[in-house]
Amino acid sequence: MWTFALARLAGILLLGLVLGLLIGPIWLWVLAAACLYLGWQLVTLYRLDRWLRLRSQMDPPDLGGVWGDIVAQVVRLHRRKQFHKQRLVQLFRELRRSTAALPDGVIILSTQREIVWFNRQAARLLGLKRPVDVGLRIDNLIRVPEFVHYLHGDDFAMPLVIRPPVQLDLYLALQVVPYGGGQSLLLVRDVTRQMRLEAMRKDFVANASHELRTPLTVISGYLDTLADDSAIDPAWSGPIKDMRAQAQRMNAIIADLLVLSRLESTDGEAVRDAIDVPSMLERLHRDALASADRPRHVVLELDSADGLYGSAHELESAFTNLLVNGLKYTLPEGTVRMRWWTDAEGAYFSVIDSGIGIPAEHIPRLTERFYRVDAGRSRGQGGSGLGLAIVKHALQRHGAWLEVQSTEGKGSTFTCHFPRQRICEQTVRRAASA
Amino acid sequence: METADLTHHISRRFNEDLEKVRNQVLQMGGFVEQQLHKAITALVEGDSRLGESVATEDYKVNGMELSIDEECSRILALRAPAAGDLRVIVAIIKTITDLERIGDEGEKIGYIASRLATMERPADKYREVKHLGRQVAQMVHDALDAFARMDSQAAVKTAQEDKMVDEEYESIQRQCITFMMEDPRTIRRALEIMWIVRALERIGDHAKNICEYVIYMVHGKDIRHTSLADVAKQIDAAHALLRR
Repeated sequence: MWTFALARLAGILLLGLVLGLLIGPIWLWVLAAACLYLGWQLVTLYRLDRWLRLRSQMDPPDLGGVWGDIVAQVVRLHRRKQFHKQRLVQLFRELRRSTAALPDGVIILSTQREIVWFNRQAARLLGLKRPVDVGLRIDNLIRVPEFVHYLHGDDFAMPLVIRPPVQLDLYLALQVVPYGGGQSLLLVRDVTRQMRLEAMRKDFVANASHELRTPLTVISGYLDTLADDSAIDPAWSGPIKDMRAQAQRMNAIIADLLVLSRLESTDGEAVRDAIDVPSMLERLHRDALASADRPRHVVLELDSADGLYGSAHELESAFTNLLVNGLKYTLPEGTVRMRWWTDAEGAYFSVIDSGIGIPAEHIPRLTERFYRVDAGRSRGQGGSGLGLAIVKHALQRHGAWLEVQSTEGKGSTFTCHFPRQRICEQTVRRAASA
Repeated sequence: METADLTHHISRRFNEDLEKVRNQVLQMGGFVEQQLHKAITALVEGDSRLGESVATEDYKVNGMELSIDEECSRILALRAPAAGDLRVIVAIIKTITDLERIGDEGEKIGYIASRLATMERPADKYREVKHLGRQVAQMVHDALDAFARMDSQAAVKTAQEDKMVDEEYESIQRQCITFMMEDPRTIRRALEIMWIVRALERIGDHAKNICEYVIYMVHGKDIRHTSLADVAKQIDAAHALLRR
């Protein structure tokens, strides 16, 4: 192609040279030939340029030679680009359609937490409007304080459940999912059904426990009378004693169920009353010493005079449950130590027993309701099976957590870790009581 | 398009300042909205603790008002804003006053609700008051949405709802009077309810004020003390012009 173009140029120049040799001055004819060639090239260039500009309305010009080749090249490039573009557009449309069809709301947020895009479900659940809301900050529209706090924090591990102010009967779970370049995805899910079911379950447990209480009181009342009745055949005294014991256990279970459901139904953090933990523990210690079948050594070590901010009732039931567990699973010649201390990170309460210990595989599941380490053992010792669940819930409401260490055959240590901000410094009390 | 105006600034810092203070206002609005919801829930469900918590948390609203006010003064002194920016600042200063008042009314409702929780509840479980409360809460929500979106049409629509709130207020008032005449033993409770309804009606007025500031902010028109129907017509015309 290119050799042909070169040959043509050479031919035209040669023609000019020949004409110049035949007639007139040589240089004039050569120059005229060169100008002619240049002019022709310019015309072709002009046609090419015009076509490139008005490509959509014109067919490609038939230029021939090198120029025709270039035109063909451009047409090919253009076609390929068009094809890719169409594919991308199609892909994008499909993607949009599929996200729009998602049952959950999806919002794309920029680094500044501005709304970039949202699907139909998100608009419906949160009352967003297209297109005015694109570019607005999400916390300008969803102004629920908890959400604003959640959005500006950096802990997105758990979704946040809010009740949108527009539709108060809805519960929405919102979760931020950060991805590349500081952008994030906000997922919105309608969890009203789950929340209702959860509430129904809690109500059911509370109501059922309440309803069971009255008939049980009647039964234990009659059993008490029967036990004291001398007219009854002595052969019945054994069974009646058993029945009384079981009725008492049922009472304990119901009482624990009620405590648990009360802990669950009160939302959020526990109140912040100042509580004198050392004197509470002293009282628990005295009660433990007074009980009949206890291990030989029950020791209280108070290494701190500080108290806690929290609910006295809930903390006492947590501590009592831990202590009672320790006493129950320790042999008569063993030791149970209670320890209360604080350090720079927080406050701690431990119950350390030299009891039978817990196999390691059971430890993570200890706080489940009615969980039995050993089917024979825990029921034989009495107890409702709810004690540690109560401890867990009570601690949770104080921002605290329970740590369990145990060696089988040697004993267990249950430690409550309280955060620093719950500590209530109380040096005054010590001074006063001393 | 008015929001875009905020970003056309020579000084980037000025922009950020304006944006920040606007965000603060909406954050305050969010808190006030929640207070209002809690207060109404406390009344309807007879939850005295919730009512008390609303009353004790009002100080936070006051704190927010003070800090936003200070920020606005700072912007006025440092940047000497003009035209649209000046209107934004003026509107913000006025808006937070109304938001703070809404907070105060919410506090009042919470306080009365916690007192009413100890009294016998009426058979209708405060259905009318609940309805009015929802209506008013919706108004506050819509007003703040209009503020966030700089949407003057929505603002006019929301402002017009105040009329319905007023009518509802009157009908509950009449109902209370009837109750009191029928059975003098209900007078105490009915009087408390009147306070609550009155507070709700006031909140509706404050929400309407916020809508008016939004219109002022967007169009530079002070529409207080003019008929809302006229304003609606003018704004629709302005929007039609813009759309063309």
